[in-house]
Amino acid sequence: MSQFPDSSPPVFAERNYLNTPATGLKSWLTTLDHKRIGVMFLITTLIFFAVGGLFAMLIRIELLTPGPTIMDAMSYNRMFTLHGVVMIFLFMIPAIPSGFGNFLLPIMVGAKDVAFPRLNLLSFYVYLLGALIALGGMIYGGADTGWTFYTPYSTTTTTKVVPILLGAFILGFSSILTGLNFIVTVHTLRAPGITWNKLPLFVWSIYGTSVIQILATPVLGMTLLLVAIEHAFGWGIFDPARGGDPVLFQHFFWFYSHPAVYIMILPAMAVISEVVCAFSRKNIFGYKAVAYSSLGIAFVGFFTWGHHLFTSGQSAFNAGVFGVLSMFVGIFTAIKVFNWVATMYKGSISFKTPFVYFIGFLFFLFFGGMTGVALATVSLDIHWQDTYFVVAHFHFIMVGSTIMAFLAALHYWWPKITGRMYNERWGLVGATLVVSGFVFTFLPQFLLGNEGMPRRYFNYPERFQALNVASTAGASVLGIGFLVILVYILVSLKYGPVAGPNPWGSRGYEWLTPSPPPLENFDELPAFERGPHEYHDLPGVEAVAPGAGSSHA
Amino acid sequence: MSDHTAAPATTAHTHAGRYLVVWAALTALTALTWGLSTIHIPGFGGVAVALAIATVKGTLVALFFMHLWDQPGPNRLVLITSLVFVALLVTLPLLDNATRFPLANPPDAETAPQRIRDAILNDAPPPAHP
Amino acid sequence: MHSAVAHHFESLEKQGQAQRLGMWLFLATEVLLFTALFAAYGVYRYLYTDAFSQASRSLETWMGGVNTFVLVTSSFTVAMGLDAVVKGKNRRTGLLFGLSILLGCVFMVLKGFEYRHHFLHAELPGPFYGGPIAGSGGSMFFSLYFLITGLHAFHVLVGMTVLGVIGARTWLGRYGAEHHVPVELAGLYWHLVDLIWIFVFPLIYLI
Repeated sequence: MSQFPDSSPPVFAERNYLNTPATGLKSWLTTLDHKRIGVMFLITTLIFFAVGGLFAMLIRIELLTPGPTIMDAMSYNRMFTLHGVVMIFLFMIPAIPSGFGNFLLPIMVGAKDVAFPRLNLLSFYVYLLGALIALGGMIYGGADTGWTFYTPYSTTTTTKVVPILLGAFILGFSSILTGLNFIVTVHTLRAPGITWNKLPLFVWSIYGTSVIQILATPVLGMTLLLVAIEHAFGWGIFDPARGGDPVLFQHFFWFYSHPAVYIMILPAMAVISEVVCAFSRKNIFGYKAVAYSSLGIAFVGFFTWGHHLFTSGQSAFNAGVFGVLSMFVGIFTAIKVFNWVATMYKGSISFKTPFVYFIGFLFFLFFGGMTGVALATVSLDIHWQDTYFVVAHFHFIMVGSTIMAFLAALHYWWPKITGRMYNERWGLVGATLVVSGFVFTFLPQFLLGNEGMPRRYFNYPERFQALNVASTAGASVLGIGFLVILVYILVSLKYGPVAGPNPWGSRGYEWLTPSPPPLENFDELPAFERGPHEYHDLPGVEAVAPGAGSSHA
Repeated sequence: MSDHTAAPATTAHTHAGRYLVVWAALTALTALTWGLSTIHIPGFGGVAVALAIATVKGTLVALFFMHLWDQPGPNRLVLITSLVFVALLVTLPLLDNATRFPLANPPDAETAPQRIRDAILNDAPPPAHP
Repeated sequence: MHSAVAHHFESLEKQGQAQRLGMWLFLATEVLLFTALFAAYGVYRYLYTDAFSQASRSLETWMGGVNTFVLVTSSFTVAMGLDAVVKGKNRRTGLLFGLSILLGCVFMVLKGFEYRHHFLHAELPGPFYGGPIAGSGGSMFFSLYFLITGLHAFHVLVGMTVLGVIGARTWLGRYGAEHHVPVELAGLYWHLVDLIWIFVFPLIYLI
């Protein structure tokens, strides 16, 4: 790491959040420290990621051949429902905001903790409660409605849909509490010197995410409650047989669940904005554009939900309105992509593991985003609706973008969280396996969808088999990649070299404190004179004209 | 986002007189909207008048009982933002039902053309696609 | 430093500012929670216009009107309670909050009589509807009626509990002129319950 100017011998902070005030299990379970709560969220969400991944592997194995391979049709229906519910509600939504966000956001604004530490801990336990109820429902019988719970099927099915609805309802409270905490923290606990235009871009994106969590989650909660009531008592709220309008359910559901896509992707963009600067060793290009486009995505993301209803009986007028509005999200996303690419331009790029994931992210986001714009075109969507094309599209966003960013975050902040470095060589092996495995899993699904293979089907004609086999093979590579990561990450906990406060030579505020950070984040509060993405004054880095790379320099 | 310029909050709430005036106004408006409802304004007018009065009352409560009148930006911004999304969630689904192909509305909705409703209720073959 | 300030806040004032903002964000979630029901009401009112106005006419408008008056008055007494604690008159705040709870009880009792009336006339949601309106409109109205007023009544109960706890603690002198933010937050919650009713009343009873 000779290229980094700070080459003093790395130190493992003696008194840190891991051993202060105590190390016992009880001190963890009753902790009010945002860092420990963040770590607990990370561990729990990773466990659920493994569970959801297992379901995904079983789905892929089942689809290896037409007809039953390892399970019957009903088990298959349950399997993809559980995969969706676990991955979305238990992993994707909480993983980056509640995990990394909790750990990093207070440090990045120079605060000692989040505004309401008790609510923060409550959020974790509410999450656990919701997860246990949902899991209970899955073990008790599971549901076969898909994670979207479309009525009237969800209100008439005999599978155990109510506990899963209730679990998702409770999980919503966790999401709200965390979002509320972050917004208040950013508003009231910024350290002197950290003005709005000196906030790390990670914080801006998490702030946008929190706004969505506050405004959208209650609507989902109410909707799930209505479905549960209808299922339990037969009130006809959405059931057309009782005068209800099932499309209204879809409106309500996607009023939350489309912005929820941005609950998943904005934190990914948060991570990427940090990683691209740190590994290009260059000022972020267009700080304000990247920062404000997070709020733009959060806002415009609410105006697009109707593109899920193009073929559901929604009026042609509404479909047109929503189709056009949907494309506006592409503008804000493109602003970010262009700025990230411009940040790399003439940078001094070090091709470490997080950067590999960043590159993967950039390509997959582009692919997923552009297919999204295509899908927002009403006439094209009629052809692709409910096919594997849609499945591939949103997996490019959710796996290809969010999970790549999650892994980038895991590697980038691993030394900060644990105080130790993972093995860089194995890191690159893992990243290669994950990125290539991902491409082989989901690229064939675009082709499958375009040829007309519907999603959520247990069976398919012979002619689709080759592409399905390719997809399953890719999924195996992806799975092996995750296992490799798991192994070297766990090994590094004990045997990894000590990282020191700033192994990457990053300018982010979180790297100003020892690794792992002390109990109240900073032994002595820094002055925060420099912006969190300013590299132009680094010795040994080729000078980039100040102002060319940053609008706040 | 002017949360650094907040006026000291402790001195801002001695408003007994103001509360009394607001309470009187709220009571009067309740009586007014109740009285107007007995006249039965036809069509959409009645809804509009009732909702307009409710909005005035709600604004009074938010501004004076809930102190948004003398509190800084973020709190106001939160309420205003939430109201934008209230408008969004109420109008767009309604717009959908209002502009929909009639058969896509629930079968016995009053908006469906009588011809189509009869066809459904009598199990007759549906009319030809327009 | 005041003992009521948590370790990570620099001052009581800053902490109060954070607590107010947190409360407002929570109130925003409450508003959106009710909005789903209001939006459903809007859609079904549009689809079943005649049935809804017919069903609405079967409600006792005077009960709704009196309840509006009761809630608005209770909001006023809560606001006066905050005024009292700011002036250091803790006992008066306790009494005013007690009066507000009493008004909340009046609201709930009237609501109970209304519900009893609906049960006796089989004006109930979904398949339990036995009222005079043909088609799905009548049962749909009462589904939404019970959902909206039921959820609101639940919030009244929660609000009464909050007022009770905070009022008692104010009476005991836990909060005072300097440290009155919890009293203010309890008030905010109660005002929101009132605010929602202000919209429920015309939508369900008047139009």
